[in-house]
Amino acid sequence: MFYSRGVCWSSGCEKQGDVSPVENHIHCDEGQPQTEEGSEAACPGISIVTDGFADSAPGDVSGGPASCEGEEHTHLDSQDTHLDSEDAHLDSEHTHLSAEQALDSASGEESQEDSGEFVAAMLARSRLEEQGLGVKGGSPPLADTGPSPPPPGLHRDEDVTADAWRAHRKHVFVLSEAGKPIYSRYGSEEALSSTMGVMMALVSFVQSGDNTIRSVHSDQHTVVFMQQGPLVLVSVSSSGQSEQQLRHELRYVYNQIVSMLTQASIARIFQHKKNYDLRRLLAGSEKILDGLLDLLDCDPSFLLSAVHCMPLASSLRDALSHVLQKAITPNLVFSILIAQGQLVTIVQERTVIEDARLEPADLHLLLNLIGASSAFQAGEIWTPICLPSFNPDCYFYAYISYLDPPSCSVCLLLLSTDKEAFYAVAECKRKIEEAMLAQNALAALAKARPYSATQVGVSDLRHFMYKPFDVPDNHRQLTQFTSPEMESPYSSEAEKTRLLDLYRDLHGRIHSTSRPLKLIYHVAERETLLAWVTSKFELYTCFSPLVTKASSINAITKLLRWIKKEEERLFIRYPPKYSTTPNPSRTRKAPEHDATDNGFLSLL
Amino acid sequence: MPEPAKMRKPDVKVVILGDMNVGKTSLLHRYTERKFKDTISTVGGAFFLKQWGPYNISIWDTAGREQFHGLGSMYCRGASAVILTYDVTNWQTLAELEDRFLSLTDTANSDCIYAIVGNKADLTDSGTHRAEPLDGQTEQEGVGTELQPTGGGVGGGDPAALLQKQVSQEDARALYNRVLRYKGMEDKACPPAERLCFETSAKTGYNVDELFETIFDMVLPSILKKRSQGTPSTIDLEECRVPKSTKAGCC
Repeated sequence: MFYSRGVCWSSGCEKQGDVSPVENHIHCDEGQPQTEEGSEAACPGISIVTDGFADSAPGDVSGGPASCEGEEHTHLDSQDTHLDSEDAHLDSEHTHLSAEQALDSASGEESQEDSGEFVAAMLARSRLEEQGLGVKGGSPPLADTGPSPPPPGLHRDEDVTADAWRAHRKHVFVLSEAGKPIYSRYGSEEALSSTMGVMMALVSFVQSGDNTIRSVHSDQHTVVFMQQGPLVLVSVSSSGQSEQQLRHELRYVYNQIVSMLTQASIARIFQHKKNYDLRRLLAGSEKILDGLLDLLDCDPSFLLSAVHCMPLASSLRDALSHVLQKAITPNLVFSILIAQGQLVTIVQERTVIEDARLEPADLHLLLNLIGASSAFQAGEIWTPICLPSFNPDCYFYAYISYLDPPSCSVCLLLLSTDKEAFYAVAECKRKIEEAMLAQNALAALAKARPYSATQVGVSDLRHFMYKPFDVPDNHRQLTQFTSPEMESPYSSEAEKTRLLDLYRDLHGRIHSTSRPLKLIYHVAERETLLAWVTSKFELYTCFSPLVTKASSINAITKLLRWIKKEEERLFIRYPPKYSTTPNPSRTRKAPEHDATDNGFLSLL
Repeated sequence: MPEPAKMRKPDVKVVILGDMNVGKTSLLHRYTERKFKDTISTVGGAFFLKQWGPYNISIWDTAGREQFHGLGSMYCRGASAVILTYDVTNWQTLAELEDRFLSLTDTANSDCIYAIVGNKADLTDSGTHRAEPLDGQTEQEGVGTELQPTGGGVGGGDPAALLQKQVSQEDARALYNRVLRYKGMEDKACPPAERLCFETSAKTGYNVDELFETIFDMVLPSILKKRSQGTPSTIDLEECRVPKSTKAGCC
């Protein structure tokens, strides 16, 4: 049975073979799920998975919260119709809805049960229409290319009752605890207020039993809930990604919101006024969230939680770092140079990064901010920005300017802790501009290109992603990864997405909480993939379909050797630092807490 | 190093304030680039340096969103002119100027000039609308035709559906006088409301040049005063790097 995607979280309800394809399951926080194949669950060691093998056990792919070491479960009586807080298991009769039921009750009343059915109905209906019921053989998540991406355009004006709206691969909703809509990826928030009300009802229903709703799994959709302070984030996805991955993405969405408002302000706002309409503060920022969600779908940096840095001759990179190192002013903490959306170099303030390091996640948010705001292409921007992983409650002040107008591919980003430092920081930019002009660095940067997998010199290797853990100066290092350009046969958007989906699936299985794997050899229809995690690196490779197991292992050895040789070019090996304040005791503190004077409170 | 010596230093600072979506960035874009295009909501503030004759004028185009209010006073510090912008089709945007934005200008110069600008005049069916095609033909013929496709996409800016004008010139002038009162400048020799209340259209270009030229003309005395005094109100970082200014010439 391929339909065990909605992995049961309790071995009581659970004759897996009987699970109907359209059954829905709800994962709760404390629920300790049991994988359906205990014998395999207990071996996190090396496991070779081929396509055929995957057929028999696709259930583990969905990667719900799971524990493999046979934990004791107590089960709710199946007649019980409410959540038991101690046991934390939803009663199976209550939560398992069949698609027919759900469809029939789509126009359900206001009761919470019906609300649940309504959501399930929405999901089930869209999926049934999209796919028919005939899911073809083979492992569904791997073979499924998913629907073609929706046409870009005015997502806000979309008709939320239309089938096209339901057919979107991944929806993301943000709402407040009071059920007020804050953001929807597609369609206007107003039009979706009742849908979001249903989501909130689900959340609070489960909450009323001292529990937390985590996810709902239907045949082809996964609904993941995440509550962060006064905000509730919901992802409704048919992408086949694991719950963990979807949760990771929701965290990015939350962090992007925090980066604009700070966590402290959000908490304070809702403390003051429970039903505050946060869109008042976020209005105009939708494009930034839209951009982030598009990036999450197409950029593997987010999946790997690592920064993709631009391959560059180390001499040029060092020279540029040196330029940034020289142009400093008090309270400058990060100088970041970006070309074609990729990191060229980053210089960090010595004392500041002793307290906290710049996480890749924060850098991703910064890159997204730049990418999503074409307004940056003119003039010099000065804006407050919070780096949530660094410190969710404080602002940095970001200076953003392009160095090569009008083509706008080389961008300088300077972060200061001083709100008033614009002119001083702008002066740093002039120095950097001058020095780069003198070295003709812009021309050199314009020549920088992503590399091709053929350069490795392994004939069957089509693409790879390599994330090392063994970088020197590890403590202060920015986690990076390297990857060649996606070339034929992965040059079209659809094929790129397909390859990324394959990677996501391997990643989901490698990092599955229930059954982590170290090595996966996966023979797919049109390619063969090998994923390998060691204490030193994480590697995903894609080969032509005719490769053998032995030759692929051989190829990986060659690849690792090539990466080692090219290390200096592919990675920022020793991130440069500077000291911008003569008196280190002053900067040892994290940036000042001035979220309060950003004017929020006065507005309430 | 000849390059840094030639570095343009702003003589005077102009700040554009106003609620979100009133068209601040579009106004500036129309004036500097001579065209109208879809803009994305401004983040924080954007700093531009505009060469105006022999003078350098720095312009802060600020974000209208409440989210960025914290920086408002920083943008306004030492400003010689503040352009308070509202949307003629939205009464609330005029009210917001008084409620939210006026207090941000407390850090501006004491002799700061205030202009009240009603943008989106092209959307109403009043007199300004009639001037639009004429304006477009005379100075923007090429651009005017190219504008058509983008114009429709701008929030509610459907050219076919003319909106009710919600803010009259009198309302704007009344606000101007209240601004002067708030600043305690009524008794001083301030330009009359007629000279500093504008209705513009960033889309057609109507009155945009007049707005900026008038303001630049009016800040001229403050430029000259600043030049003759030679006392910069901000710390001049270039000064220490370029020791050829008049003051440092002693040794």
